[in-house]
Amino acid sequence: MSRRNNLIKYSASRLALVPLMLWIISSLVFLLLRVAPGDPVDAILGNRATENARAALRERLGLDLPIWKQYCQYLNGILHGNLGETLINQESVSKIIGRSLPASIELGVCALLIALLIGGLVGFSSIARPQSKLDLSARVYGIATYALPPFWAAMLIQLVFAVSLGWLPVGGRFPPSLPPPSGSGFLILDSILNMNWIALQAAIIHLILPASTLGILLSGIFSRSLRINLERSLEADHIEAARSRGLPERQVILKHALPNALLPVLTIAGITVASLIGGALLIEITFSWPGLAMRLQEAIGQRDYPLVQGIVVVVSTLVVLVTIAVDLIVAAIDPRVRY
Amino acid sequence: MPVNIIFNLLRWSLKLTSLLLLICQVSCRPLRTDNLLIVASASKITSLDPAQASTFGALQLLTALGDPLYRIDSNGLLEPRLASELPKLSDQGLTITIPLRKDVYFHDGTRFNADAMKFSLERFMEIGTLNYIFGERIKSIESPKPFLLVLKLRKQSTSLNSLLTSINLTPVSPKAYRDNKDSFLNKRFVGTGPYMLTSFQTQQKKLEVFPLYWDKKPNNKGINFIHLSNSTALFGAIKTGEVDVLISNSIEEDQRLALNKLSLKGKLNEGKGPALEIGYITLLSNSIPLKDNIIRQAISLSLDRDLISQRVSYSQRKPLRSLVPPILKNDKQAYWPKYNPIQAKKLFQESGYCEGKKLTIPLTFRSNVPTDKLLALTWKAQIEKDLSTCFSLDLNGVESTTVYKQLGQGAFEAVILDWRGAYSDPEAYLSPFLSCEKFTGNVCESGEAAISGSFWTTNGLQKSLEHSDQLTGQARLEKLNQIEKTAANGAAYIPLWLVTPKAWSKPSVSKPEFDGNGQVMLNQLSELSQ
Repeated sequence: MSRRNNLIKYSASRLALVPLMLWIISSLVFLLLRVAPGDPVDAILGNRATENARAALRERLGLDLPIWKQYCQYLNGILHGNLGETLINQESVSKIIGRSLPASIELGVCALLIALLIGGLVGFSSIARPQSKLDLSARVYGIATYALPPFWAAMLIQLVFAVSLGWLPVGGRFPPSLPPPSGSGFLILDSILNMNWIALQAAIIHLILPASTLGILLSGIFSRSLRINLERSLEADHIEAARSRGLPERQVILKHALPNALLPVLTIAGITVASLIGGALLIEITFSWPGLAMRLQEAIGQRDYPLVQGIVVVVSTLVVLVTIAVDLIVAAIDPRVRY
Repeated sequence: MPVNIIFNLLRWSLKLTSLLLLICQVSCRPLRTDNLLIVASASKITSLDPAQASTFGALQLLTALGDPLYRIDSNGLLEPRLASELPKLSDQGLTITIPLRKDVYFHDGTRFNADAMKFSLERFMEIGTLNYIFGERIKSIESPKPFLLVLKLRKQSTSLNSLLTSINLTPVSPKAYRDNKDSFLNKRFVGTGPYMLTSFQTQQKKLEVFPLYWDKKPNNKGINFIHLSNSTALFGAIKTGEVDVLISNSIEEDQRLALNKLSLKGKLNEGKGPALEIGYITLLSNSIPLKDNIIRQAISLSLDRDLISQRVSYSQRKPLRSLVPPILKNDKQAYWPKYNPIQAKKLFQESGYCEGKKLTIPLTFRSNVPTDKLLALTWKAQIEKDLSTCFSLDLNGVESTTVYKQLGQGAFEAVILDWRGAYSDPEAYLSPFLSCEKFTGNVCESGEAAISGSFWTTNGLQKSLEHSDQLTGQARLEKLNQIEKTAANGAAYIPLWLVTPKAWSKPSVSKPEFDGNGQVMLNQLSELSQ
């Protein structure tokens, strides 16, 4: 069978598993939420409401139905693209996710770019002078940023740059006294499309601290990975052969060593993108960033089942799709990958 | 050489970062294009429907967007707002007649009248999340004249007057809420207050002045009410001047203290409201060992409120030895005993402890409330110092939603909680702890005492509570004092401290002022430079 056919078969098998994975994840979320102590009725009414008031609300929210009926309704809703309404204020879950997801993606993408830039520079500079002070510093940086507790680092950065120096806003996504640009919800993109430069400036200055914090914290893993893989690549036989052919060092590194070293970095980037969509919780909370992770945290506290379920399903779908996409890209460009 | 490229890239990156930071220093100050005051709070507002609102932030905004029938003024007296006179009682206290103002308009231009008030109250009784407080007292609502409201009661209730000050009962426009008579309207509000809601976003609500407002116009052009999710962000925002006013009870104690110090230096204005929130400990009194009243008394005596307040809140939370905030009963009499480790030890010995036998009680605190954890740790350490041979605490952090769910199931032997009455009346602080529908001996089987997690009651207590709601003036106060004294003897609850609401403003903005319900009067805020 040709390599192309193998790749198509591999892709199809990976994609075929997506519905199964999503069904397992969504069912687990549904069950775990019901098993967890706490009740949305308590969250709404408090624990002092009369039994009549509680029963009425329970009925209104559909929580009086047997669990299996609730589960069937939930699955039926997902299959029809309907994630339901929040229990707390009966708002469409899809709309809430639609509003919060752009904030998370905007933060995640910017953080990833910063992480790749810093990680790349640190990783390269480390391999450029092996065993030097620069290399040692780069390695310490890699370990330190990876090991730093995100909430501590975020709070420290916030205290220094926002509270003490006052250079950047302490939190939020956009100044309250400016009307946000209309459009997709991606404020930077919308500002550019509307040619609203004041809004663009405002959106960027609000993004700098959270994105830089997240980017710096993630850059360690990229610099370490790049350094290790580049070092291994430079010791490979084909690099020795390229050097013996008299190719310039620049060409040896950029053309022959780097592509091989970047493949594992690509995999790490893929996993990071996936985790960033829903995983930047501490950064979002510290900087009051109205993204999906913060919504999820609030919804868990309120035991708002449909909202938690909806966010988890959407994030899981994105994680699964991004992971598969990265696997397929790696499989397509790396001939060593076996299917 | 690639090494050169890398170093060039590094050099350029550093230059670019420096330039960016330099630009930030010059231009990253908050952008202001409107003249609205920015007020920040940690409270998340998901609904501005008065039938649904229960969070601090939502009630704060509703106070600016709507008017109640009455309000408690800064002297603690009932003041008519949408009512034109104080309520008139007749029919042996079972009928309340409330004349209404004739010059009030809703934000949609329609007129406020008795029918609109009736519509709003009935809507609240139908779908309001706190409707049980109001509904169990009211038999019917009538509007015999365009500006006259009549409430028929099921039983006589003195505390109803205070209940009528609740902002949850603020009227809404029947026209605007026609399609939401039995459902919530979360992101709009059409009421009668000095401000209109012009924008409702997840993190920001915009309030602008209502031109047809019947009373004095606000001192500012409007309010941008924003949500910041953590204490450091709130602290930083007011300190750097990013926001004009900060309202928050959830700000951490060391930051409250820092803000207090800044206000003493004149760098901020600090406003204080009436202390209406209490912190307390509930003891489970329906099972061994806390079923023993002597042990509960001993635990009550073991609490060094002054030390705990000093260590946890830098003495900003005032020690409290009553369930009812002193401001609501016009006296400072306290019925719970003062800290007395010698007496506590005697009582523990009386119950068979201390002589080689130590009582260990699990103390639960809400893990998502930082002050609770500090309190628990401090008390534990204080007991280890004072009563190490008799008594100790096992700390146990549980998320608050779980605590509230399991409280009424008797899951916690001792648990730290806080309480703020739904309206400013002693009844809102006694009934929710002591009321009991069904009991055997001293164990409450159903009712508020069971829901509160203490399960404690005593013979005649429920009757005293009901009786107090039929009394007025000094007789009522005496009855309430007697109830508190009984509760202190039962020692199923240990009041701990009183939380004073505070708000801070920039020096260029006037000092925040609070109303009698502990809400900042946003309409009083003004820019001093104007």
